[in-house]
Amino acid sequence: MRKSILALVTVIVATSISAADHPLLTQHCGDCHSVDDPEGEFSLNMLGNEVTDESREWWTSSFDFVKAHEMPPADDLNITDAERTAVAEYLRQGLLADDEVDKTHRLVPRRLNNREFANSVASVLMIEDVGTHQPLGDLLGDALHEGFDTNGDALGISEYHLEQYINACRGILDAVVLSGEKPVSARYVVSSDKLRMSSQSQRTTQAKRGLRREDSLEFTDPRLHIDFENFETVPTTGRYRIRIRAMGVDRGYYDSEATGIYDGDPILLTVSLGDRQFTYDLPDNKILDIELDEWLAEGTRIQLTYPTDGLRLIGNGNFKFQNRIAHDYIKEHDQATYQKVLREVVAKARFRKESPSHWSHWTDYWRGPRPRVFDGEIEGPHYESWPPKRTVALVGENPAADSAESILRPIAERAWRRLVRDGELDAIVQLVQRRRKELGDVEAIKEGILAVLVTPSFLLINSEEGTPADRFATKASYLFTSTPPGAKLRKSVASGRYSDFDSVRELAKSYLTEPRGDVQPDDALRQVGSRSQSKAFAFLDEFPRAWLQLDRINFMAPDPDRYPFYHKKRVSDDMIDEATAAFRHAVDNNLPIPELLTANYSFINADLAKIYGVQNIAQDSKLRKHVFTDGRRGGFLGMGAFLTLTADSLGTSPIHRGVYVLENFLGTKPLPPPGDIEIPEPDVRSATTIKEVLQAHVSNETCASCHRSIDPYGYAFENFDVAGRWRDVYAQSIGTNSPENEAKAKRTKKRNRNRPTVQETPIDSSATFRSSDHYNDITGFRRLMQSDANKERFVRCFIKKLLLYANGEEPEDFAELDQILNTSAQHEYRIIDTIAAVVHSPLFRGE
Amino acid sequence: MNTDRRTLLQGLGGVLALPILENALPRSSANAAQAERPEAPKRFLVVGNPLGMHPENFFPADFGTDFQVSPTLKALEWLQGRFTILSHTDHSMKSGHGRELSFLSGVLPETAHAFAEKNMSLDQFIARQISGTVRYSSIHAALETGIRMVYNGNGVEIKPFTDVNSLYDYLFLNFTREERRVRKELFDRNGSILDSVKGQFSKVWSDASASDRQRLEQFATSVRDLEGRFDERTEWIDRDKPKFDLSKHLAVDEVTLVNRYSAIFDMIAYAFQTDLTRVATVSFPNELNYTDVNGVNRGYHACTHNGKNEDIVAELVAIESFQIAQMSAFLMKLDAIDEPNAEGSMLDHTVVLFGSGMGYGGTHSCRNLPILVAGGGFKHRGHVDTRDASGNNMPLCNLYLSLMQHFGIERDSFNVSTGAFELNHA
Repeated sequence: MRKSILALVTVIVATSISAADHPLLTQHCGDCHSVDDPEGEFSLNMLGNEVTDESREWWTSSFDFVKAHEMPPADDLNITDAERTAVAEYLRQGLLADDEVDKTHRLVPRRLNNREFANSVASVLMIEDVGTHQPLGDLLGDALHEGFDTNGDALGISEYHLEQYINACRGILDAVVLSGEKPVSARYVVSSDKLRMSSQSQRTTQAKRGLRREDSLEFTDPRLHIDFENFETVPTTGRYRIRIRAMGVDRGYYDSEATGIYDGDPILLTVSLGDRQFTYDLPDNKILDIELDEWLAEGTRIQLTYPTDGLRLIGNGNFKFQNRIAHDYIKEHDQATYQKVLREVVAKARFRKESPSHWSHWTDYWRGPRPRVFDGEIEGPHYESWPPKRTVALVGENPAADSAESILRPIAERAWRRLVRDGELDAIVQLVQRRRKELGDVEAIKEGILAVLVTPSFLLINSEEGTPADRFATKASYLFTSTPPGAKLRKSVASGRYSDFDSVRELAKSYLTEPRGDVQPDDALRQVGSRSQSKAFAFLDEFPRAWLQLDRINFMAPDPDRYPFYHKKRVSDDMIDEATAAFRHAVDNNLPIPELLTANYSFINADLAKIYGVQNIAQDSKLRKHVFTDGRRGGFLGMGAFLTLTADSLGTSPIHRGVYVLENFLGTKPLPPPGDIEIPEPDVRSATTIKEVLQAHVSNETCASCHRSIDPYGYAFENFDVAGRWRDVYAQSIGTNSPENEAKAKRTKKRNRNRPTVQETPIDSSATFRSSDHYNDITGFRRLMQSDANKERFVRCFIKKLLLYANGEEPEDFAELDQILNTSAQHEYRIIDTIAAVVHSPLFRGE
Repeated sequence: MNTDRRTLLQGLGGVLALPILENALPRSSANAAQAERPEAPKRFLVVGNPLGMHPENFFPADFGTDFQVSPTLKALEWLQGRFTILSHTDHSMKSGHGRELSFLSGVLPETAHAFAEKNMSLDQFIARQISGTVRYSSIHAALETGIRMVYNGNGVEIKPFTDVNSLYDYLFLNFTREERRVRKELFDRNGSILDSVKGQFSKVWSDASASDRQRLEQFATSVRDLEGRFDERTEWIDRDKPKFDLSKHLAVDEVTLVNRYSAIFDMIAYAFQTDLTRVATVSFPNELNYTDVNGVNRGYHACTHNGKNEDIVAELVAIESFQIAQMSAFLMKLDAIDEPNAEGSMLDHTVVLFGSGMGYGGTHSCRNLPILVAGGGFKHRGHVDTRDASGNNMPLCNLYLSLMQHFGIERDSFNVSTGAFELNHA
């Protein structure tokens, strides 16, 4: 009786039927989700009649579960495919009919993050960057939200921020607006004896030295830097000509296995002008004349460094132990010198240094690959005109407080990314006029510019100020370049361009694929895996890092005793570069997004090849595309970055990896364990495998209901150890802690301890999803991830992450998300088309 | 030689028993009654870490006042009877990193908007109450990255000083006459900028929608607060700071983690002693390299995930004992100083809270937090099992409520508190 009434209601108002009363849901979900203490802390009642602000999350996750065939689980044998589809459709319709969701898609304004702030100030003041005097050094760091630095709630604003902004902008402006007498230029000749070597680490007070020759100074330790004794800091802001003569020496002199520097890698020299860096590839045994002509702010330090990830392979990774290589080499190749050092140096050694191979005896004989710096010359400040061009461009030739309004208006328009409204500048103009008497015209106008930069109209984006066109131009520009929009973009948006998908697609394409205009001299020398050269380099670097939460990679770094290579060669840097290179490759070729996840290729260098077990690849640090034929690697699923950042330092965790896959690749958020659950601590002393531990855990019903939906997404990766290396068995050390070993361990040094017995346990990396899909190992898992349903989940996840990056908040409107997904699907999920669909969406436009 | 850095004064507990106090009140805001009869100030220090403590080594095996001091707390043996260890307190947080951010408020940053006082941390409440007239309302120090622990009333994180020299400069370095002039002028100029910004802001505000106003209000508060700080600091500029000798910590062959932390604690003790500040926090970040501590080879976080390997547990306990020992040395210094204008030692007027928002990193548990309260002149209760009759943990906010009350904040609840925790034994 009851049932027939329900059926009738269903016919009349299909979507308003309460989920708890829906016959299909009651029948197939009710047993677990309509009882007291329901599974997964979820009851059908929580869905109510329709989607509300409170129930939205439950509707979305129910839909995800049903769509993935995880729910109802496969052990419900009575449900037909048609019924599954009907349940999914019921949920989908409910979500599409959601009318509580904010259809205006208004975004709450948020503060510029520090990256955007730096770019924005530079752009408003029309300079290359904020300056070489590190004026932003005191800014508070931005808090990240799930890896993203664009989240409005995480980007707080306080009096601390405000004060730092004022101070920072003052420092920046002081190096742009110059007045008074033109400073006199001077020439500083830095002969080789004026080159000074010191340590970058502040932890010791020991003086450091490189190898000093008659005409040059050579880097030994990569932690050293060279500066100029007769040019401590830039004395006056202005343009300086800098010349440095240097060459690379002794590449390949020692075996690269010992030094950790590949023979194929260039010897690099970095010139740092504050935060502005230029890196040069030094030719072997041939002098390179480095010439720079740069605007430098007063107080800037000029430093030379030798960037390399090598020279740390011996001992605990401190460079000094590398000198042993010199010993080994000389002992083998140059007996005369060897005997001489034994006689003259080793014989006089004190303490524990009597061993001939001790590093300290050989520092003067080091011949590892290194830059040799001869000398330098600095000349400046010089100016193309006075007052300098950048001053004139900003405030005009003879700035007068009386014309403050006309000077400040264009600056304010750039800063506020919109037209200035009537009367809006009055208070600031009055400030300038009031200050003029004591400060003079120029300084008074600087106060006015500062005020423009401390207003909320500059510091907050996504506010309702300005026209819809202004807002769109601002959003698009910050999305791709993290800078305010230029006049050209604002104009073309205002003229009505970019109101249809095709033109938005053109916009996205031009940002993502056209080269940036201001390619720095060092970019030509940069290796694949560092920065992109497209206009959207800020996006191409930042978004994949944030999406994949790559900042967390060393939060639990692999154990340094067992994974010394990972630490000594800074492999985490290569892993991060691999991930961003893959993302850029997808954009460069407008590939279908799912390829990012499961491609059979990746971008690796010799260091990563060691981790991945790849033979016969070029012996250098450059990332190159490599196709894997074993079905195990390639794409995000095979990347060291993902495998490492989801592992502990000693053991792997299928749970961490499963949660990561769900959250970052498949776009669902498993609930964290309830607070009153005692979670057992992993015990590596016992001979149980992680799978056995977890299965014990899952036999607890409270845990099981969620873990059955999480763990199968993680087991597949068990063949990858904590640093992402392939393993066929778990190798476990047991039986070290006998009393005599303990006692001995206390007496002797750690490395002399008895080697523990290693027990090998086979790895079971198979699992079955609740949908009954089963895989035997990673190759099977990867195949499952290529199903149409999983491809769609991945693309949906990408879209949500992109909106999180762009909007600073999670999208809630299911219908609009669905629309983006449809557009993407129509374009084979190609990445530029999908990005364009996001940018075109009301979710992005805030309309 | 820089006379600011090297002085005739011995640091703490040394030759000079009574260092010159910061004259507590700038004249204009001086309260006549207080000026006549100075009252002994109360002070508050928080020492925190992000990863909790290895429970078996931290919590004593027995409860009550007569407990056996646990291995990690060995350094505090001398203070037995004058500190309380609270077992079974927490903020009812789920397991996992990131939730320890709730340590001093019981509230996570992401849910802070639901609370009127956001996730403002305990120390900031107390600072607002007791620091009205001192030079620095609170001081925060750590090394490397610091930890995320302190939040202001806007829910914005306050970052600590993360190196010894900048903390020194901030606390003790006097400005030259020229610097004072420049600073005063700068505050004045910055103040005028804020004035004109308010002018522009009022236009923006009048056109703004309700949702925009939410963030704009945060901005407006910031402007107001900053103006207040400019006024305050302008008054302090002409006054000399106390002097402190940092050289004994840093003029050594190798500056290690150990002497850098003892420098931090010494400076804070001296800042308390001279009434530069009354509230401070010191934290021990995860990112720090603890290998300067005897017996430590691994990263701090890695040691918490020790898989119960005894060698690695020993390294973890070494790191944790180091944290306790540093705090213990601080307590000992304060205890050696008589409180001017009151009975007892300075420690009897200083409450020190040690703890973490995480129970134990090895299990990622945010339950059963390691919490210790020392000093403050309480009749300390030893090791207390705070569970109620049905075995539920006590909200840590109950302790915080009691501490707030101790410092004179009149209120009867704090975030998720269910009552006050009795700090004195019967």
